[in-house]
Amino acid sequence: MKNKLALLALSAQKINRQHVQLVFVLISLALLLLGTGAPLAEGGVGR
Amino acid sequence: MILLSALVAGLLTGLVWARWSGNPYQTPELRHFWLVFVAFLPQLIVIYSPTRENFPEWLVAACLLASQVMLFGFAWFNRHVSGMSILVCGIVLNLAVMTANSGFMPISPQTASRLIPEERLLDIQPGSRLGPKDILLHPQDTRFEWLADRFLPPSWFPYQVAFSLGDVLIAIGAFWMLAKPGSPIQFTNRGTQT
Repeated sequence: MKNKLALLALSAQKINRQHVQLVFVLISLALLLLGTGAPLAEGGVGR
Repeated sequence: MILLSALVAGLLTGLVWARWSGNPYQTPELRHFWLVFVAFLPQLIVIYSPTRENFPEWLVAACLLASQVMLFGFAWFNRHVSGMSILVCGIVLNLAVMTANSGFMPISPQTASRLIPEERLLDIQPGSRLGPKDILLHPQDTRFEWLADRFLPPSWFPYQVAFSLGDVLIAIGAFWMLAKPGSPIQFTNRGTQT
């Protein structure tokens, strides 16, 4: 149990500020692209 | 989907480039994150929610345009980021053609025939909505027809999608932003290259 907690703590330390920022950037850009782009795909025609 | 693939391709290119050059990957420094979430909310409700069928067309069009204007604001606040200027141009083109055509992206019956079976297309009247953001319009009834969803991949390509010039610029901008986040090729506030 102690080992698992130590591993978890180590993994959490590896998630630094830049990783969090990259996730935010990717989510923001994905929303920006979905929101501003207007392509019509084969499967997206049915409403 | 096609736009999100530009995002993934840009990120992969950026990561490979960073590894190859021995430098850490630099995340683009975007600001005002909250704005993009607030801006997307109207679209989420009228386009992607299960209750989307209940909304009148005028409300959907108004929400789409309002959302796009706010997303333009987000892009404009972040125009210092490389690639964002290209993306802003794409947003402006899409916004212009949609505003001029009742708030939706026009697509001609000829282009739509590559995406929908012919017999189903015959049931759809010109002026009717098609897909989440498009409207079926004859080219002669379309304002800024050259900005509409008029481009298609080759017929042999397995994924068929109609896209606009604005979509192309948006995809290039997003790709560039993630592929070369620290690139010196960016536009300053005065719109000149540095």
